Amino acid sequence: MVDAARHPKVDVRTYTQVERVEGFVGNFKVQLREKARYVNADRCNGCGDCAKVCPIEVPNPFELDLAPRKAAYIPMSQSVPLLYTIDQDACIHCYKCVEACGPLEAIDFSQEDKVVWEDIGAIVGATGFNHFDPSVIPEFGYGKFPNVITAMEMERLNNSAGPTVGNLIRPSDRENPKRVAIINCVGSRDKRFNPWCSNFCCMYAIKNAILLKQMYPEIELSIYYIDIRTPSKGYEEFYERARDMGIKFIQGRPSLITQDEVTKNLFVHSEDITLGLVTEYEYDMVMLNQAAVPQPDVDDVSSVLNIQQSPGGWFMEYHPKLRPIDSPTDGIFLAGACQGPKDIPASVTSGLASASRAGRILHSDEWEIEPIIAQVWEDRCISADGKKCGICARACPYNAITVEVGTAAQITTAKCHGCGGCVAECPHNAITQLHYTDAQILAQIRALLADKPEEKIFAFRCHWCSYGGADMAGTSHFEYSANERGIRVMCSARMDTDFIYEAFRLGAGAVLYSGCHPQDCHYITGQVVGAKRAERLKKIFDKLGMSPGRFRIEWISAAEGQKYANVIDEMQQTIDDLDPKKLLEEIETLRPDMEKRARRMYEVPGVNESTDYSREMATAIKKEVAQDEK
Amino acid sequence: MKNNDQPKSLMGQVQAIPGGEAVSVCFSCGTCVSRCLIQQKVEKSYNPRRMMKMVMEDMRETAFSNPTTWLCSACDLCYPACPQEIHISGVITAVKKLALESGQESPLKTAEVNLKTCVACGLCVEVCPYQAIHLVEKSVPNRAKNMTIAEVDKGQCMACGLCSSVCRSNSIELTEDYTDEKIIDSLRNWLTNQSIRETA
Repeated sequence: MVDAARHPKVDVRTYTQVERVEGFVGNFKVQLREKARYVNADRCNGCGDCAKVCPIEVPNPFELDLAPRKAAYIPMSQSVPLLYTIDQDACIHCYKCVEACGPLEAIDFSQEDKVVWEDIGAIVGATGFNHFDPSVIPEFGYGKFPNVITAMEMERLNNSAGPTVGNLIRPSDRENPKRVAIINCVGSRDKRFNPWCSNFCCMYAIKNAILLKQMYPEIELSIYYIDIRTPSKGYEEFYERARDMGIKFIQGRPSLITQDEVTKNLFVHSEDITLGLVTEYEYDMVMLNQAAVPQPDVDDVSSVLNIQQSPGGWFMEYHPKLRPIDSPTDGIFLAGACQGPKDIPASVTSGLASASRAGRILHSDEWEIEPIIAQVWEDRCISADGKKCGICARACPYNAITVEVGTAAQITTAKCHGCGGCVAECPHNAITQLHYTDAQILAQIRALLADKPEEKIFAFRCHWCSYGGADMAGTSHFEYSANERGIRVMCSARMDTDFIYEAFRLGAGAVLYSGCHPQDCHYITGQVVGAKRAERLKKIFDKLGMSPGRFRIEWISAAEGQKYANVIDEMQQTIDDLDPKKLLEEIETLRPDMEKRARRMYEVPGVNESTDYSREMATAIKKEVAQDEK
Repeated sequence: MKNNDQPKSLMGQVQAIPGGEAVSVCFSCGTCVSRCLIQQKVEKSYNPRRMMKMVMEDMRETAFSNPTTWLCSACDLCYPACPQEIHISGVITAVKKLALESGQESPLKTAEVNLKTCVACGLCVEVCPYQAIHLVEKSVPNRAKNMTIAEVDKGQCMACGLCSSVCRSNSIELTEDYTDEKIIDSLRNWLTNQSIRETA
């Protein structure tokens, strides 16, 4: 920390809150609120004379309220920068600190919060995690029994700079405990509170046990656990060392802790699963290894940075395996446990990785993005005519579209990742996607369904998953019906209703609407947009009396080649089971409806030039419109 | 392709019964076992955690004859403590239902109706916490060919004795050890001993 603060290129801003983030990669504008310390940062030399004379004492949150601090305080003795702060909630305005500060004149009660805007190139979110409060678990009695403490409290008691100068004592009688139980998974792996495994607590429990055993060799230590998880290098060896030292490991989650009212000793009730016996052991002190939970203000930060949250509230990365420290917004990265519980090596790794990712941006004058992006035809957007719409903005997983009534929708190109959700959702065909324009896709559909369309199974596949699945089926030589004809779009969100109508209008025997599984979508929520549309279509087709199975929705991952082959074969079976005459009749009856429903796509620039039919349709529509106007 | 003709696993059957759905998420932490009063006070081999495992491992016969299947009183002391939010008594009830369907009989000494004196007032039906007593129409020897009378479902009865204590005509009682007479006898003995102790 001291090194960072001294570095000429590092500017440490403590006691400062990020309030707004605008702009895009390399060009962020960030609003910061520098909170008033009531101490002039240029003058304070950190001598601490103000704290010495301050008469007010309040619990110190850094010591987990085990020790007091003054109203004039530094958070901890190693604070960087070493600047005192006056806690206005506690201060009684006796001004003794002003006197004590004397000629330095560092204390300034007239100070106010300062709001500043900064130009920022890249942002790394490293807001960390919080500790679960075990007092909400009734059976462990935390907060009720004095000798039930949390692991963090034990950390302070055991610290030479802590409130007891490193002497581990029980809160009830200040004696050194002889028998200590450590309970793992307190509030984690517990669906009542937090379903996740907190990742580092097994090793943390073992570390604490070894530490205590080294300091107090006579101490008896038991660790209660559900499973011991030691997956990294050297961890299993560490676990073995703990067992060698005589630390007891009891497999079984305690169901109840009771207290002896006289001695304040504790009884831990648990089944020892390996023995198959219910045990009740007496301890002097119990340490709860509480769960790691997101910071209390994680919702605010995620909305400021526009980062999605995974279930539970952790920040969501772009892709959990392939882009683990990128956020969905280019130029914003994640480091450490704000993404989910991480131990120290993993936090350091992600911190270094984020720094190098951010450095890449800061060192380049230009930033390359994929060429597949969305663009607005401003003359077609109804928002420009003063009408309220905003459907595109709601479909965008990246907040790349801003819609203000009176002007056409604006797409921040640097934020667009090219899923095409907005393109398909726009009811006025006012948005197009480069390299996947409506005209291009329709041309492909028409070419593939030119010959005997009623025998064909037409598949829409998303670039990342179901196209990969089809590819996997091919490279693995899984046989499936040769009547399948498929095209690729970037995401199931791009699969416009018009395309499906057009495929059926042309007489396709069956149509497959496929994409990623919801949790695998490469465009965060693109699949959700696509899935909603597909469900809507299915209902429409059912209502129109289409034979069941002719329109099918399937979510297929890139690894599911066999599933892809099976789905196509099943669809072939559906077509085979239908009477060919009846199928043709059905296609004919539905054709006018499909035509009607898809007619707006001929308004799309480029579409009407693609085929003779389109040209005819376009002229017909124009005539109709002219008649209506008359 | 799913083959519906295949015999279902015990876990599949249990999950199909309302209350038994969550059995598969049990990770054997043992919280339920150390919370259970039946394990501590009645039967040491009683173990809901192992019952979950038996269901998962398809150990049909072992599960059906296990005391856990029959002794759970559905007090639900374990339910609020379970970190996986499994309604354990629901799972055990499901196993019990399957055991009864397979012809297994309850090993408990369940309540019995005295056919000669029952007047079908229905008090026992109302108080039974396990819905084990019903009023039925049937022929009773030496009384009537078709009359309403209380009947105990032996599979559901947990032998708590609540019915016996509310019955006004002493027509329903637990068999053998816990008849009214035996309880009164032991109470009298205890009181006598107590008074002897006090005078001494």
